[in-house]
Amino acid sequence: MPRTHRPSIATKLTAMNTIISGTALLLASLAFGLYDRTTYRDNALRRLSVQAQIVASNSVSALAFDDPHAAETTLSALSAAPNVESAEIDAADGRPFAKYRRGPDDPGPARIAIPEGQAEAVRLDDQQMALTRQIVFQGKPTGSVSIRADVRDLIIRRNRYMEIIGTVLSASLVLAWLLSWLAQRSISRPLASLAAIARRVSSEKDYGARAELAGNTEEIVVLVDAFNDMLSQIQSRDQSLRTAQEALEERVRQRTAELDAVNKELEAFSYSVSHDLRAPLRHVTGFAGLLEAHAGAQLDDQGRRHLRTIGEAAKRMGQLIDDLLSFSRMGRGQLSRRNVSMAAIVEEARQEVMSAAEVADRSIEWQIGELPEVEGDPAMLRLVLINLLSNAVKYTAPRSPARIEVGSTLDASGDRVFFVKDNGVGFDMQYVHKLFGVFQRLHTSEEFEGTGIGLANVRRILHRHGGSVWAESAVDQGATFRFSLRIANPSV
Amino acid sequence: MPITIAVALSGALLHGQAPSESQVKAVYLLNFARFTTWPQPEAAEPDEFDVCVLGSDPFGAVLDATFADETVGGKRVAARRIASPDAAGPCRVVFISATERPELPRILQTIQKGRALTVSDLPGFVDQGGMIEFVPEGRRVRFAVNVAAADRSGLLLSSELLRVALKVKTASKPRG
Repeated sequence: MPRTHRPSIATKLTAMNTIISGTALLLASLAFGLYDRTTYRDNALRRLSVQAQIVASNSVSALAFDDPHAAETTLSALSAAPNVESAEIDAADGRPFAKYRRGPDDPGPARIAIPEGQAEAVRLDDQQMALTRQIVFQGKPTGSVSIRADVRDLIIRRNRYMEIIGTVLSASLVLAWLLSWLAQRSISRPLASLAAIARRVSSEKDYGARAELAGNTEEIVVLVDAFNDMLSQIQSRDQSLRTAQEALEERVRQRTAELDAVNKELEAFSYSVSHDLRAPLRHVTGFAGLLEAHAGAQLDDQGRRHLRTIGEAAKRMGQLIDDLLSFSRMGRGQLSRRNVSMAAIVEEARQEVMSAAEVADRSIEWQIGELPEVEGDPAMLRLVLINLLSNAVKYTAPRSPARIEVGSTLDASGDRVFFVKDNGVGFDMQYVHKLFGVFQRLHTSEEFEGTGIGLANVRRILHRHGGSVWAESAVDQGATFRFSLRIANPSV
Repeated sequence: MPITIAVALSGALLHGQAPSESQVKAVYLLNFARFTTWPQPEAAEPDEFDVCVLGSDPFGAVLDATFADETVGGKRVAARRIASPDAAGPCRVVFISATERPELPRILQTIQKGRALTVSDLPGFVDQGGMIEFVPEGRRVRFAVNVAAADRSGLLLSSELLRVALKVKTASKPRG
């Protein structure tokens, strides 16, 4: 089985743990940072507000007695607060009254509009923090103080916090990765070993392998146990299957050997019988001939006809014996397989069939289709074709013109199937099972001559090639014989 | 009172003129009172906060105009003119006019037995035992304070007031 590029469970578990702890840490850091920032900012604002209040209450008399100098003295105390950049006091009518500057180029504080009913207003942005506070004396507003503080320390603090968080976060992620990698092993290791065993079992069919029990996770223990159990069952089933198969094979071997022996005996017997039958038959023929020559003149016509019948019957019996011999030879000889051209074999068979004297005056239309090369014994295949074609020619005798078609097709499973189709007298499908039997005939010798050995030979040859033959027909509708055998496959 | 200054100022500025010296002084009279703490009264207090002018009145209508709708310690401020220091009993602030210069020691002796805050623009007023003296400084009006004199009458002057004073006299120097 090929290794895939899918991530392993170890990688996934580690990644999951790292992501989860990283996210939690990030959220916590953000929350803390936000809290710290808010607190710090609030403190800074409060500090500024307190400074403004002190200035306000210390400027009351200066405003009351129109003494900007005193107010400026009050404001100069702000130099002790390093974040205060500038401050100004305005009289109640908005007239600038006193001012304080830390640096000479300072533009001064902005005046923040104070909402109705409130004592002060603030504005905070990235550059500065500004506050304006009303100065109230005896319940009446007598002026206002505005202070501007820089927020550099806020920004410095934020940046420093970011640096710290960044460092802590990356260190924590590395640590979380390490820890989760260590922690996940108790789960992923047994699973990985289980997967490796499963892979080995499926690729090497080694049912003797067992997964090791590692760790104590309930589900994994159950899984490993069940897996090992399953393997044991498969192993024992495999074992008994193999035993049964071996027994079966042994029995088949025995039967085959017995069958072979019986078959050989039978063939030897039929061979010797046929052979032995020829000698007395030769005597019958020979002596019938001698008798005709010697006493033919003294016999009357009936006597000579009897004698001639004896001779013809003996000759026919000789033919039957020859066929029987050839049939038994067909079952014994070695098959010499090689690549042969079916087209060439069909052509040879056709010419042979057509050379017979009785077909010379027949009108036959031949249709030979595309025929591939096949693997087989050329002499035997030639015999098959001669039989099939001579049958076709024979049973189309009443037709003029006779039409005989030879071709090949592919069947549903992709095997090559050859066919010989004629428009002859056909046969009744009821007797199709008798068609390929030895000396079985569907027609009388008077109708169509023949011994009935041809199709038996055809079937025997095709069986020996690992193929088969079958036929379909209807009376007077012509017949189609189909056969298949192992096809020469150029890619093998 | 600064708001009054502001009102007066803005009014004056609106009309294109600076507030007059009288206006400023009238406002300061109120503000002095506001930075002063009086001892707890022994008897029932009058409903009004009386600011009195002893001698010929240099303010005229300005005083009444300035005091209109003003309060000190929650009481409406009223301007009164008195002819004699003996009439200063209910007064919380007494402005001693320059016309009273010859009688000053006697006047101070009489008034400062009570609890009134004494103010004047007579030069050397604080050196002679008065409490607050207007001192002109260029176009501005400033003031000097005699803390010891106020102290003797049981009046507590706010440090805020002292901070903006031009001069603060803490103990009366021996004469001569």
